[in-house]
Order: sequence, then C-alpha cells, then structure tokens
Amino acid sequence: MIMVRAIVRPEKADDVLAALMDAGFPAVTKYAVAGRGKQRGIKIGEVTYDEIPKTMLMSVVKTADKDFVIETIMAAARSGKKGAFGDGKIFISEVSDVYTISSGVCETAGGEEASA
Amino acid sequence: MKEVIAVVRMNMMNRTKQALTELGINGFFAHEAQGRGVGLANPHVLQGAAKGYEEAAALLGEKGKLYPKRMITVVVPDKQVKGVVEAIMEVNRTGKPGDGKIFVLPIKGAVRVRTAETGEKSIL
Repeated sequence: MIMVRAIVRPEKADDVLAALMDAGFPAVTKYAVAGRGKQRGIKIGEVTYDEIPKTMLMSVVKTADKDFVIETIMAAARSGKKGAFGDGKIFISEVSDVYTISSGVCETAGGEEASA
Repeated sequence: MKEVIAVVRMNMMNRTKQALTELGINGFFAHEAQGRGVGLANPHVLQGAAKGYEEAAALLGEKGKLYPKRMITVVVPDKQVKGVVEAIMEVNRTGKPGDGKIFVLPIKGAVRVRTAETGEKSIL
C-alpha cells in the first residue's frame, strides 16, 4: 500500500475529487494547508506572498494503482493544457499497515488481510 | 520509528486523546480534515436503486460527499505501534462505516529542535 499526498489549488480540489471518484478511488481525506514553492511565493508589487493557501488530498491506494492514481490527479489538477506554477506537487510514501476501525480489519503491505 | 496517522470521527477526539495519554504518549499532532471512504452501502438499497426505485436512490445521497473528520498524527517507537493502534481502534469503534482508518508509515528519522537529539530519543 502507498499513501498519495497531493497538494493542489483549492479551486481544483473538487475537480480532483470528482476525477478520483470516477476512476474508482472514493476514499480520500482533504485538509487545508498553506505553503510556498520553488518560486518563493508570489510577488505582487512590493509585497511577497509566501504562504499561499493550498489543499492537501490524502489517499491510500494499492501499490499497483500508483501510476494510474498519479496520472488521474495530475490531469485533473493541472491548469490549462500546459500547466502553470502553483499547480502543486504529489508525494508518495510507503504505508506498512492499514486498519479499518469499524471492522478491525488490518491490511498489510504484502496484501494479506487479518482481523485484529 | 513509525508514524501512525488516524482519521477518526469529530466527537471521538477527547476519548482518543485520553487513550493516548494513558499509554504514555503525550505529544501528537491534530488536524481538522474532511474525507470520504469507500462508501459502504446497504446492498438492498443498492439493488433497489439499480432497479430504479426513487426512494432507494434518495437514500444513497449525493455522490462523493465529504464528511468532517479529525486527523491525528503521532510518531511512536516500533514496540509501541501495536498498543497505540489497538487503543485507537478500541475507543473509536462503533461498528458502523465512518469510524475511520489508521495508517502506519515508516519514518526515517526525527530530530528534537530544542536539543538537536536524533532518533528515538527525540520522540520519548
């Protein structure tokens, strides 16, 4: 299992959520974050804005689905055809165990299931 | 060291905090988040909606609704992971869909900023 964390524009979050739903990945957690990127924020006149509001979307998916999920998020989160600075980043990390609280089912990285 | 990320119901926060404190884990990191799950639905309702009954379709609700959740992140030493996961599961379980998920991720390192201690010493 892998965790996909995508930082996207807040106005694009709904598009990404809809795209993931249609692609068959309904389970997502969303929260608001603020940050800056390689461009050191946005400079408008004399003022530099370096805490730009973004939305973080977190989803844990099977390792085999990694590339498909990344492509789905990228296609939905990109602004225009070519994209622009500030469209965001996607980070992937390993997840060793996933527990569902309501049933107590544990899924491990190897794919086997056990109830705890 | 492992990072334990738990997404739980809003009203379970106090009980979860207490359970973690009883285990000797005093530091953690909390977010307010919104989320949706795999959308477990009653199979009879699904069948009804597939057959075109309007009442069943209304029960399913709108697609992809996000529910408010709390997200807790805690970094614990390897030997405490099992206890923490079990404690969080125990206090949060109502048995209905929406109780949440717990993810366990490996963590490469940790540093305490105040003293520059690294590794497990920095989180104990």
